[in-house]
Amino acid sequence: MRGPSIEFTNVSLDLGNTRILDDVSFRIRAGTIHCIVGANGGGKTSLIRSLLGQMPHSGSIRIEWRQERVIGYVPQALEFDRSLPITVLDFMAMTTQRRPVFLGVSRARLRMIEAVLERMGINGKFNAKLGSLSGGECQRVLFAQALIPEPALLVLDEPMTGLDLTGRKILEEEIVAFAGAGGTVVWVNHDIVQVNEFADAMTYVNRTVLLDGAPDDVLTSGMATHLFPTLALPARAVSGA
Amino acid sequence: MSSLYDIPRQYIIELANDGVIHYTFTYAFVVNGLLCALVVGPLLGGIGTMVVAKRMAFFSQAVGNAALTGVAIGVILGESYTAPYVSMFSFCVLFGLFLNFTRNRTKMSSDTLIGVFLSISLAIGATALLWVSAKVNTHILDTVMFGSILTVNDTDITVLLVTALLTGATALPLFNHMLLASLNPSLAHVRGIKVHWLEYVFVLLVTILTVACVKIIGAVLVEALLLIPAAAARNLTRSLRGFVLLSIAFSTVSCLVGIYAPMRYDLPVPSGGAIILTGAAIFLVTMIIRMTVPRYREAAI
Repeated sequence: MRGPSIEFTNVSLDLGNTRILDDVSFRIRAGTIHCIVGANGGGKTSLIRSLLGQMPHSGSIRIEWRQERVIGYVPQALEFDRSLPITVLDFMAMTTQRRPVFLGVSRARLRMIEAVLERMGINGKFNAKLGSLSGGECQRVLFAQALIPEPALLVLDEPMTGLDLTGRKILEEEIVAFAGAGGTVVWVNHDIVQVNEFADAMTYVNRTVLLDGAPDDVLTSGMATHLFPTLALPARAVSGA
Repeated sequence: MSSLYDIPRQYIIELANDGVIHYTFTYAFVVNGLLCALVVGPLLGGIGTMVVAKRMAFFSQAVGNAALTGVAIGVILGESYTAPYVSMFSFCVLFGLFLNFTRNRTKMSSDTLIGVFLSISLAIGATALLWVSAKVNTHILDTVMFGSILTVNDTDITVLLVTALLTGATALPLFNHMLLASLNPSLAHVRGIKVHWLEYVFVLLVTILTVACVKIIGAVLVEALLLIPAAAARNLTRSLRGFVLLSIAFSTVSCLVGIYAPMRYDLPVPSGGAIILTGAAIFLVTMIIRMTVPRYREAAI
């Protein structure tokens, strides 16, 4: 697998009379885990959605694909009518196949879905109603759907929200393995300890880029101690690229 | 085309003549109604699940009322008052598309916007009806409002069949995409789904379906058949498969019973009313099952 590199050049975004992003420029290297960090309302999700082509931004975002353009996207949360009769399998099939879900799922597709759900540790919830899942279980399903078909770029918008320790560990392992195999990960993350442990690079965005670089360098800078006053980082477990 | 319909029609009539089925089926118009029911039932039941999932119930109600306005405009423009399809289709399609366009542009909540459009459409309808009442006997409009299988002719069956084929051929391949687009538009977009375009397609589908079914169920009641079977199915199922198949079954049964029962038992009920009342009875039963059977127990608030 060969993930793309991404170049943000002078990206700005105005919604209504509010400037959400202001002249954002940075680069995401191919095959790395790149975390987007920042305060609430700082424009992280807007940045991600600009990358996905869902925002009327100015400036340029260039994705240099090196293989088929497949993006796996994990949105912040799945907001929907929880009483709708949709099972986990229905949802997975709906996102990945063309045949109307109510007419059934092909055997090959079924095996593929079973395999990713098992990797996520929720294969027991195969026929559970999507609306009956806990927040953490729902996040695991959302992550699972992003893996079919195999993406070259993973875009994650706070995928760890509501996850228990086991869930976190599973997702962390998946993300590391994905980048290890050459995929590119863009990961909005609030947990600076996790960023320090897993990211190859990080960008702190608060309307504009305040910090950008490898966590080792960035988090020891004077600006970082100002932005993360309570930061006490443990020794880095996985060394960055 | 009519000779094509004669084949199933004659077959059913002969069955009735031979006493295999009830003698009411010796009347061609009853058989017409039955044929329509077999098309309308599965179609509305199937699309209805999407209407419920996409929370478009109020929209289909608004389109039904717009159909009434379309009829009034048609009569004014000199179309046949028993089948003013051109005006009905045109007005309803414009109504639906403009509503969706406004919703996309203003990002206003759907219920507010539909409320506004519904009132405007009714006001135009009320004004137009005043003119119409001077031209034709307004009792004829009862047919449009509440449906009457007595007046279903081969043209109506053709309109219904063509609509059914068009709707089915469009909705089936787009079913997953439409549903995903309503669950999470952002995720749908990443998967290459044209979210806004699909909204327009869906609005068009509901609109032409509503108009095509006006004759048999009635403008005021057609949206009920888009909702009630799907709502009843939702009471009893946890999977999409069950949802769609049960909704289709409930809708088809409602149509068949609603058309047959008033004839068989000589009830003074229009077809539309009887169909919806049957659907309502099914809904009540499913509601009671949901309230009493332990496997459906849910959080109190």
